[in-house]
Amino acid sequence: MKDLLWYFVLSLIIAGLVVLGLFWGSVDVSSLDENSIYIIKNIRLPRVIMSLLCGAGLAVCGSAYQSIFQNPLSDPYILGVSSGASLGAAVAIVLGLEAFFFGIGGFAFLFALATVWIIIKIASVGNRLHTTTLLLAGISINFLIAALIAVLMVLNSENMDKIIFWTMGSMSATKFSDLWIVFVFVLIGIVVIRIYARELNAILTGNESARSLGVNVERTKKIILLFSTLMIGIIVAKSGVIGFVGLIVPHIVRILVGSDNRRIIPFSIFGGMIFMLLADILSRVLIAPSELPVGSITALIGSPFFIYLLYNAKKQLNP
Amino acid sequence: MEEKDVILEVKDISYFVREKKIIEDISFSLKRGGFYCVIGTNGSGKTTLLKSITNNIELSAGVVKVNGKSIKKYYPKQLAKEMSIVWQHNEFLFDFSAFQVVMMGRMPYQKLLQADSEKDLDIVQKAMEKTNTWNLRNRSIKQLSGGELQRIMIARALTQESPLMLLDEPISSLDIRHQFDVMELLRKINRENGTTIFIILHNLSLALKYSDEIITLKDGHLVHFGKTRDIINKENIQNLFNVDAEIIDKDNIIINK
Repeated sequence: MKDLLWYFVLSLIIAGLVVLGLFWGSVDVSSLDENSIYIIKNIRLPRVIMSLLCGAGLAVCGSAYQSIFQNPLSDPYILGVSSGASLGAAVAIVLGLEAFFFGIGGFAFLFALATVWIIIKIASVGNRLHTTTLLLAGISINFLIAALIAVLMVLNSENMDKIIFWTMGSMSATKFSDLWIVFVFVLIGIVVIRIYARELNAILTGNESARSLGVNVERTKKIILLFSTLMIGIIVAKSGVIGFVGLIVPHIVRILVGSDNRRIIPFSIFGGMIFMLLADILSRVLIAPSELPVGSITALIGSPFFIYLLYNAKKQLNP
Repeated sequence: MEEKDVILEVKDISYFVREKKIIEDISFSLKRGGFYCVIGTNGSGKTTLLKSITNNIELSAGVVKVNGKSIKKYYPKQLAKEMSIVWQHNEFLFDFSAFQVVMMGRMPYQKLLQADSEKDLDIVQKAMEKTNTWNLRNRSIKQLSGGELQRIMIARALTQESPLMLLDEPISSLDIRHQFDVMELLRKINRENGTTIFIILHNLSLALKYSDEIITLKDGHLVHFGKTRDIINKENIQNLFNVDAEIIDKDNIIINK
């Protein structure tokens, strides 16, 4: 019951931010004339909806990754999975494969999945994942992919603008036609992750511990990785790499409601939406009439936050 | 021993890592309601034996049966209703309350998306009262002492309502007082609930004091299996651990080196 009240309050906040997102921007739309209505409906509304979808999807993915990897510092961005997806998108553009295998989204997903596989291979010691190695593997993959994308851009200068878009996320180019596919995959992903929330809780207490509670650990991990990576692939294909949402939001939610994934998931949906809406609005108004990529806003907030978490983790390990 | 009295049957199991034999040709059966203890030196294969019984490793040979049925043929949830496990190491990087951790023991009985029922809450409370941890229910699992944490993990195992409880050195990091507390608790669970206890121990006098029967391991082989009193004697301890021991009475041993 108490949670329902919170959902209501958070929904009100989101509604307020949606209104703000629709009416605040580089063009003054207060006159509500034909031109203003056009801007609100066709430019701002789709990006506001995209912010809601991406925020919810990225935040829930983050909490899923943290459970799967049993590591509060993992998220799709830190582990290089988002970058992997952006490399997939860039490769699809450069090779002109936009018409094959679900286009850019399909390639983004395949590359994201390949990245997950690589970091797991690097960080596995026996059947355990080594925490520090996992983060280092992710960071190294991020370096490698940044270099590969730079090479692709130089070799294909005519596509440079398009590729830059994927490396620094932005909602500005969102069209209504993009929203459906993102909605469908985010919805499916969140539902699947929510169904396995109790299993994820058990996995947080260790693999053997979860197995002794009757959890099919390997199968659960594979399913969750597949569906969350699918979400990441589609989100990156449509709005580019937006980092740290999956790190910051679940972390704050965990402080407020505890570690039970059955509560973290719904609260992360709301939290992710709020965070993403705020970041998108900031990206539009900070240097108006120009615009910052929303990925740079989340990174400006997220990197110091990550450093703070690392600092705290260090204190926990060596008191 | 009649077949229906056997809760766990271990038959000719071996586990090799490459050419190295970790355990080899181990066979024994546990009777319903017994209190069993496993002893042996480090590296004798105790933990591997436990992992074999709990389906955590792929055996090179042999079969483990619970209620006459191979553990490979159980669904994970079904098996979790038959056996509960308390592991030696419990790492908690995430902040659950003690109550939430104990509630996880009800997972084998809960369907996907089903909320915790009144019955679940009741069982959790009873298990926490029995283990004397109900007052800790709102504490963070990360902030519990070693003894408190082990009692919580035993409470979680209790809520699984399994007829068999397996424990991997649950007391090796506790002080003597808490070691006794945990052993007394296990005896209570064994006698009141009729739960079969199978525990790996390092402390010989506790093994002597609490267990009905004992299994001794050396270099991956089963050396003895039988009544504890018959097996724990000067000669066998010398053979197993290479130490000189004196049995004072039915509860006490002195190890001289």
